[in-house]
Amino acid sequence: MKEKILSIKHLCFQYDSMPVLEDVTVDLLEGEFIGMFGPNGGGKTTLLKLILGLLPSQKGEVLLFGKPPKEARHLIGYVPQAIRLDRAFPICVLEVVMMGALKQLDWLGRYPTSVRRKALDALEQVGMTHKAKAPFGTLSGGEAQRALIARAIIDAPRLLLLDEPTSNIDPEGERSILEMLSQLNKTMTLLMVTHDLQTIVDKVGKLLCVQRRVTCLKTTEVCEHFALGLYHTPLTSKNHFRHQ
Amino acid sequence: MSFFSALQDNPFLLMALAAGFAASFASGIIGSYVVVKRIVSMSGSIAHSVLGGMGMFLWLRRTYGMEFLTPLQGALAAGLLSAILMGWIHLKYKEREDTVIAAIWATGMSIGVVFISLTPGYNVELMHFLFGNILWVSHSDIALLLSLDLLIAAAVALFYRRFLAICFDEQQATLQKAPVHTLYLLLLCLVAIAVVLLIQVVGAILVITMLAIPAAIAGTLTHALWRMMGIAILLGALFTFLGMYFSYELNWPPGATISLVAAVCYCINLVCQRKRAS
Repeated sequence: MKEKILSIKHLCFQYDSMPVLEDVTVDLLEGEFIGMFGPNGGGKTTLLKLILGLLPSQKGEVLLFGKPPKEARHLIGYVPQAIRLDRAFPICVLEVVMMGALKQLDWLGRYPTSVRRKALDALEQVGMTHKAKAPFGTLSGGEAQRALIARAIIDAPRLLLLDEPTSNIDPEGERSILEMLSQLNKTMTLLMVTHDLQTIVDKVGKLLCVQRRVTCLKTTEVCEHFALGLYHTPLTSKNHFRHQ
Repeated sequence: MSFFSALQDNPFLLMALAAGFAASFASGIIGSYVVVKRIVSMSGSIAHSVLGGMGMFLWLRRTYGMEFLTPLQGALAAGLLSAILMGWIHLKYKEREDTVIAAIWATGMSIGVVFISLTPGYNVELMHFLFGNILWVSHSDIALLLSLDLLIAAAVALFYRRFLAICFDEQQATLQKAPVHTLYLLLLCLVAIAVVLLIQVVGAILVITMLAIPAAIAGTLTHALWRMMGIAILLGALFTFLGMYFSYELNWPPGATISLVAAVCYCINLVCQRKRAS
């Protein structure tokens, strides 16, 4: 039986007095590839932050590998949107990737020699070895996203969380990133926030629709209306289902 | 007498150059962090709030005979205090950051003005700190400058990669269990120390030019932070030298002339950058 690596039970969260998440209950099993979607302001980013332990849960429980998120951070990798980072920052790709092993710095501020090798291995996994010395700011959107994925997998995490890794990327770049993620899914569990349901629906095992409450859907239950931003849960009519 | 012959004959001028180069070292290193972390306005606020500390220490010295207190010590104390306060606000109440920066900027200066008015006698000393007078530095000032330089060099050597991480992606550094809050406060304290060093050269009002301009120009010439620091140090030293040269030849105030040289070079670099891009 597959291990339960993420368990969320009756989770509620609100900013000031505005509820963002209500009674969320979700389980994630080892080896799964799950897509998370929903309207803007529906609570996707908040849920991701709660899983990462960047926000404290106010009510309910979040357990990663049976522990509170802060205690299990060494087992997870996180990929933010590349667009969030300063592209004018003077840093090369290899330095960015090595930051994924920041906790291994010794008291003199030096990385062990193994970190450089691991960073190059991670870059090879994402097909970016030739860009190791390139300035981060000169990368295309897709390449920058790959570099951030390399940073997240440098320490071989068991769970990889991705925040819209294919947004602002051309269709070709998007396809190749999704193929690469399918490869990574052979060795780690993936949870990916996305807006582009049509592209990922064939890649993921199941989908979470986050709209204050969270509904878990099979890929066959995804309605075409969702691609238009018309999220309606629970599903009511068989005619709305997309049959594979 | 030309500037170069004056350099050979006048030990004050040589001391001033030494002070300028020592300050360039601090401004090159810390200025690079200030520019890439985009905390220039925060550094401006620290630079102006030091006036409160300077005024208070001078008042205590003159009114209560506390001879061991100097305006420079006051500047350091006020700079560190405002750095910690702003850092705390940034970490706890991010949404109110710009208001707090402006408030500390104005409050520090107001306290300074009040103490200046309370202090008996003509405060020529404070005027030097406000607008800078590099020709005024003493042997003990140079010793203080060099020790603070050493402190900055040691801190950055130890924390270079950690500072790089919090400047590039604070959230990722948090996930990597880096002590982000402590590192951020330490970085702001180093900014405060660099500000105090630069006050000797260009004065509190103009300090932000020397902190930001050499690093901003360096940032357009390289894609590596350590190289950016090196170039910024050289540029800072060059601006100081040229500023002192023009100040001597034109009989202009040195601090303002150094700042003007830096500003002109920044504009030239902007134009060159546009031409390179087109």
